[in-house]
Amino acid sequence: MSLIDTIWNWCVDLLSNEIWFYLITTVVKLVLMFAVILAFVVLSVWIERRVAGWIQDRPGPNRAGIPLQLFQRFGSKEKQPLKEWLHFFGIPETCWIAKLCTWLRLDREIPTFGLMQPCLDGGKLFLKQELTPSYVRKVYFTIAPMLVLGPPMVAAAVIPFASSVTTDFGTINMVVANIGIGPLWIFAISGLSVYGLTLAGWSSNSKYPFLGGLRATAQLISYEVAMGLSIIPLLMVFSTLNMQDIVQYQADNGWTLLPLWGEGLSWQRWALMAPLGLSFIIFVTCVFAEANRTPFDMAECETDLVGGYHSEYSSMKFASFFMGEYAAMVIGSALVVTLFLGGWSIGFGADEALHSVCSWLAVFCQFIMFLVKLVAFIFFFVWVRWTLPRFRWDQVMKLGWLVFLELAVANIFLTAAVLYFVK
Amino acid sequence: MDFAISSILFYVFAAMTLICACAVIFARNPVTSAMNMALCFAGTAALLFGMGAQFLGIVQIIVYAGAILVLFLFVVMMLDIRTEEEDNSFSVFRSLVRMAPGALVAGVFGSMICIAALKLPGATEWNNPLCTAWDARGELCVGKQESAESKSNGLYGGALPALNPAAAAKTLNPAISNEEAAKATGMPDVKLLGQNLFSRYNIAFVILSFALLAGTVGAVALSRKIRKD
Repeated sequence: MSLIDTIWNWCVDLLSNEIWFYLITTVVKLVLMFAVILAFVVLSVWIERRVAGWIQDRPGPNRAGIPLQLFQRFGSKEKQPLKEWLHFFGIPETCWIAKLCTWLRLDREIPTFGLMQPCLDGGKLFLKQELTPSYVRKVYFTIAPMLVLGPPMVAAAVIPFASSVTTDFGTINMVVANIGIGPLWIFAISGLSVYGLTLAGWSSNSKYPFLGGLRATAQLISYEVAMGLSIIPLLMVFSTLNMQDIVQYQADNGWTLLPLWGEGLSWQRWALMAPLGLSFIIFVTCVFAEANRTPFDMAECETDLVGGYHSEYSSMKFASFFMGEYAAMVIGSALVVTLFLGGWSIGFGADEALHSVCSWLAVFCQFIMFLVKLVAFIFFFVWVRWTLPRFRWDQVMKLGWLVFLELAVANIFLTAAVLYFVK
Repeated sequence: MDFAISSILFYVFAAMTLICACAVIFARNPVTSAMNMALCFAGTAALLFGMGAQFLGIVQIIVYAGAILVLFLFVVMMLDIRTEEEDNSFSVFRSLVRMAPGALVAGVFGSMICIAALKLPGATEWNNPLCTAWDARGELCVGKQESAESKSNGLYGGALPALNPAAAAKTLNPAISNEEAAKATGMPDVKLLGQNLFSRYNIAFVILSFALLAGTVGAVALSRKIRKD
């Protein structure tokens, strides 16, 4: 008893120190955010393949479960554990429970609905032979995949995943870095992944990867301009750059695209929907282009570039590009959710109500809400990929420079006019 | 503890910036030069972050590392410049001619930096003893208004006004009460920068924008092929 008390007192002492409290909470939040991003990279690969199968009217990867033969191997004499279990509970083999279990393939494996597939993919890529062609520029060839995978992970630091909790020791703000320049931080850091693509293309020292790298550079730079300009109307409405404040504003006054409570019910707020909707369309399209997703996957367009910038890569280096692309997609989705769809806010005043009951419960529900929104937007990403065909290269550039740039600039003036005359 | 960590980080990033800046010049491969320059920009941005100018730091990364340098890299790769052949023949005249323009540019920039540093308040008052940044923290910070804290304690010449979040919040929004202003943590650097840029330096800002616009129009005019049909 006294030992437990000692440990408890030691923990309380440690947390009472301001610096240790800050360090410990930051590390916990960091690990949580990192785990969420990595888990979502894996999950979005699974969502991609299942939704692709669903849209193309085929099952997709649904068979990679945990085979029960494994148990047999580790000592179970019985060939079919399901029958044994049914006998144990006294359920006849012809009743609906047994049929349901058979339909779920419980007689052969523990079903995971194909969730094991990404793990197996990872294992396969990990065990593959690493082939580095002799003609590549070795140093840049090696660091290019790291430069693609790293930035999205760092960019995630400013995305708030719940509101704040006040404990006995201090307030915990559920965002890793609560800095006053949220969206700009994400633009800057995720914009750095262009170095990875460019260097991969150049260091491969071969024709098609080089073209892929050049395309990636041109495309990313072009769309970054329109992307940066398209959120200015939003910032004019929020009048802050802090992500936590942006989400708090939406929790109080209605999500940007769903102003149904608080101040959002006024007609002035609805008059702002036209410019905000326009900036949503521009921003989402630019996020697609920045994440190099179809219909903008010019950099790895198989029909004209073999495999694009990663043609010469194999094994885990290829997997790093693959994961970096999906991590960029997850971060893009998180940014759209935070700016336009209310971030962690549950909406309809539920945040306040839950906070008055218990703040830890509120934070937990908000975190779940954030993840649900994130999955929904990733689904949208995949949906678009399997619906729209790929653009032609010159069309992509034309769309970026001649349509979106002008629209975004005009939208800023439109928002200013609406704000000036209406509010 | 806060102070120790930030001063350690300052020396780490300052060293990184300087080493990478030297590597830009000494690297044989132009792509290596460009990548070192990117690291140099990143180090500068980190230094700006350390000073609390988060907006300037992030703009440094977005504009220089994220856009301009990528275009440099783009051009370097397109031209595919070979690494310079080693020139064995030595001639005093030729090496002097090679060095002169570099020395000239370096001299001009160096003297510019020296003049700017000497014009800082208190820079020429040599009789003041040196002190650590922590002792002079009241004077070294750039901010809006004087407060009781910012009184010079004679450690560092003429005083710059102290960083005062409450006063800054009050200046930006006179409507808020003193209690609310006192709660403000951290400087609203984006707002202060914007306000200065669009009020005090508005004319310079507009002239610079026109210069950039003229450059853009010129680039389009030069690269556009006029069809004759």
